[in-house]
Amino acid sequence: MSPEAKRPIIVVTGFLGSGKTTLLRHVLSGNAAHGTAVLVNEFGEVGLDHHLVRQLDEQTILLNNGCVCCSVRDDLVQALSSLLDQDQRGIIARIDRLIVETTGLADPAPILFTIETDPMLRHHFHVDRVIVTVDAMNGQRHLDRHAVSLKQVAVADDIIVTKTDLAPPAMVSALVSRLRTLNPTAQLTTAVLGEVAPERILAPRYSRVPSVLRTAETTVIPDGQHVGETRSVALTFKQPLDWSAFSVWLSMLLYAHGEDILRVKGLLNVGEAGPVVLNGVQHIIHAPEHLPQWPDADRRSHLVFILQGIEPKQIAQSLQAFQHLLGAPPSLNDVAW
Amino acid sequence: MCILCSQSLFVEPHWTDRKQNTGEPVATVTAGSDRERHRRRDWQHRAQILNHILSYYGLSLDNWQNRHYVLSNRKGHAEMVTDLGALWPAAAQLLGRPLDPLDPPLIEALSSDRRAREEST
Repeated sequence: MSPEAKRPIIVVTGFLGSGKTTLLRHVLSGNAAHGTAVLVNEFGEVGLDHHLVRQLDEQTILLNNGCVCCSVRDDLVQALSSLLDQDQRGIIARIDRLIVETTGLADPAPILFTIETDPMLRHHFHVDRVIVTVDAMNGQRHLDRHAVSLKQVAVADDIIVTKTDLAPPAMVSALVSRLRTLNPTAQLTTAVLGEVAPERILAPRYSRVPSVLRTAETTVIPDGQHVGETRSVALTFKQPLDWSAFSVWLSMLLYAHGEDILRVKGLLNVGEAGPVVLNGVQHIIHAPEHLPQWPDADRRSHLVFILQGIEPKQIAQSLQAFQHLLGAPPSLNDVAW
Repeated sequence: MCILCSQSLFVEPHWTDRKQNTGEPVATVTAGSDRERHRRRDWQHRAQILNHILSYYGLSLDNWQNRHYVLSNRKGHAEMVTDLGALWPAAAQLLGRPLDPLDPPLIEALSSDRRAREEST
């Protein structure tokens, strides 16, 4: 089933006090929110006069392999199954989309894993995007001190910097610059009092190709700097890639280092009429989508990784070693190596 | 699992086996169809690529009816796997350590192989 036939789920996450609730309150107050169901962790906090708000009591089941990203959010399975059942029996108005608001300390990866792998849910829902709020006043401190804040930013498709009216412009711009470095593939917006156009949050994205993929730059580790920090690597391939070889390489990489590959996004030329859109978080890779045509004349493949504890050069060197299987040599964007 | 062909039923396809917007439902496989022919060709091509990598570790892969792979080591231990999600853990089990595409000796071996190919052409 194509993503368009499934109901989109928008995951709203962000560290404690970063303005998730304010954003939701604003977005859900207008007519654009019609047909939107909302799953929140703390009932009442949103303070919404919204008839389709349900509460989640976070229950995460760690699977046998012990990998945190591949955990099942049982509360989410129960809540989504119940909403779907009520929708299909006509007990509630038709649900066109869902918003899942996480707690400030939640790792969004298990939510994605649950929706992608649940035998029933994956046929009815797809994660359209992950929206992350970052507080302009405290964002830098959260990123420095809390690994989960870093993880939320790395996983984001959209980053909304909140409380920009409270922070000095220099502080906002330093934070925005850091966020762009950490996650060059995310769309970045600044907001005051959660005022973001509701359509920007609620309109389905599906596989809209992020234009930032094509201009993403690699952040290089200066000599002597220790690894273990979050870095991104942007690669370009001028010639078409062999999809079989690339999927072998990536599945092997994710098996060995999946927990350290916080994010992978790609637009790949595999020699077909249109590109393949690749989108993944740690071990979780969404079904690769083969687009019927290219968005423009650029036929190069673009690939961005957000890494923790892996040097960008290691990824590039591995891809270069695999190039005779892949069919194309990689080049690191804007970096001589 | 089907007792006739050992095909696993109702199993989530691994992402490397999932294609969307190809005009035909993923679950539909019609014997003799273009889709099935492409799938078989891709399956065999992937087996060649995997054997190239696995040979470095002393492992080999046999294609079984274009539906399964039989992974084996030089001691004769073998395991049947259905997709790449199952392959790497099984290979690590047979090898006693994970297979890592960032492993410098593997990168060096593949790079030498590439250089040798370039020199011969």
